[in-house]
Amino acid sequence: MQNKLMVMIMAIIVNLLFIKSAYAYLDPGTGSILLQGLIAAVAGVTITGKLYWSRIKDMFSRKAKKHGEPPEKD
Amino acid sequence: MIDIRKDRGSFRDPRGSVYIARDHVYRTVMPRAATDFDAVRSTAAWEELLRKQWVLPEDKVDPEVLGDTGKGAIYVLEHPKLPYISYPYEWSFPLLKAAALLHLDVHLLALKDNVTLTDASAYNIQFQGPNPVFIDHLSFRPYHQGEFWIGHRQFCEQFLNPLLLRSVLGVPANNWYRGAQEGVDVSEINRLIPWRKKLSWKMLSHVSLQARFQQASIDNSKKNNVIGKRKLPKEAFIQMLSSLRSWILKMEPADTGKTVWVDYAETHSYTDQEVAVKKQFVHDFVHAGIRTVWDIGCNTGDYTKVVIRAGVDRVIGFDADQKALELAYERACSNELPFLPLFLDAANPSPMQGWAETERMGFSDRSSPDAIIALALVHHLAIGRNIPLDQVVSWLVGLSRSGIIEFIPKNDAMVQKLLCLREDVFDDYNEDYFLKSLQSRARITRTKVVSASGRRLVCYER
Repeated sequence: MQNKLMVMIMAIIVNLLFIKSAYAYLDPGTGSILLQGLIAAVAGVTITGKLYWSRIKDMFSRKAKKHGEPPEKD
Repeated sequence: MIDIRKDRGSFRDPRGSVYIARDHVYRTVMPRAATDFDAVRSTAAWEELLRKQWVLPEDKVDPEVLGDTGKGAIYVLEHPKLPYISYPYEWSFPLLKAAALLHLDVHLLALKDNVTLTDASAYNIQFQGPNPVFIDHLSFRPYHQGEFWIGHRQFCEQFLNPLLLRSVLGVPANNWYRGAQEGVDVSEINRLIPWRKKLSWKMLSHVSLQARFQQASIDNSKKNNVIGKRKLPKEAFIQMLSSLRSWILKMEPADTGKTVWVDYAETHSYTDQEVAVKKQFVHDFVHAGIRTVWDIGCNTGDYTKVVIRAGVDRVIGFDADQKALELAYERACSNELPFLPLFLDAANPSPMQGWAETERMGFSDRSSPDAIIALALVHHLAIGRNIPLDQVVSWLVGLSRSGIIEFIPKNDAMVQKLLCLREDVFDDYNEDYFLKSLQSRARITRTKVVSASGRRLVCYER
């Protein structure tokens, strides 16, 4: 949800930045590639976020195991 | 040696070409495609794509079948020949939607085994009855970690934007698509959709942002270099595909609710008994030699169903009414009929077009049916569109060696409706002249008057 919000804010900024119209030849795929670059950046943030989140969760679950359940055998 | 010709639409991809030899369709796989070809064929996903019939079957055959034409090819594949080739600009909304969903499903399944698609052309999908099937076997290649979805823009222009045109703005995309061939441009759809309809993440990203970024890149080409170093994680790639899928799955035409169409098939100017007589006549027309029928002016497929029940293998229907086509598609799906209803304005059929004017074939250049049925059609062309009756008959008879044509006299309520707001300049529009025109081109084998107003069905053979 936060990611979507961030992208929406970026979208609004981009919309405000480029309001003039131009007719020029360009590779027609550029817009798609730039969009995917943005999605890639957002995904990068998400993955990093997930990694940290799982580390935090791990920290707590290890503690929980110490208190409650017997340690697993090898 | 049989006559082998290269498919005129098969020239863009240097990795292979499609050849037609009478009832056989072959595809060459050139050396540059060999590694990718072998890698894809060794995956379980490929097996599954074939098993689910999402991709047209392929058989490796002896390259000798193509003689000198196949020289240099690593492999030669044979595919079953499709009974009719149709183009996206002839698809109604639900056909384009079904094609879009298949494209995404094929891609998602392929990605499971690290296989991706090189493009997202709607022309790579064909229909067997109402069911879509993927036909470009050389579009598949191994996926490289972090790569972008190269076909994204093409997917938007050839599938998403034409669907948005109808689902958001209520405008069928067929005429635009036929003109532009490559679909609806990203910047054009962005200009058309009002801002209040863009307040969703999907619309914002695939439509607004893409268009804006495209615009931005004109002013700032340095950005491209930055993007070139970035990688799109596979899960983000899959997320793009699956969110598009769930979005498209929910799309419906904006200009009509489904309940409006319920009465559609029921609206006609004659009694149930007359309908039964007409259906019986059409049923009796079908014999063992008739396998493919074109139903010109198929409406919702009432008579298509009759000829299918009578034993024909398949019907390709044509109509200019979008709502009728959508209902016909639903009927084909729910009754599992071998019926493909396509968009056609009979007064302006699909022309030869595309590169060199031969890339996409015209309506009547593609194939020829064993029979046509043209019920309640002639008056629309002769009176509705001012096409001389003799030319209407000539065009219809030219499409197939046999068929049924209905003639509706001037005093019929439907013809009166066409004439009520205009001067009657149609002196030649009468049954005698119709029959004379038909007899000068074909033999009349059976005929019957099927309504109190004097509607006449005529079977011809030439």
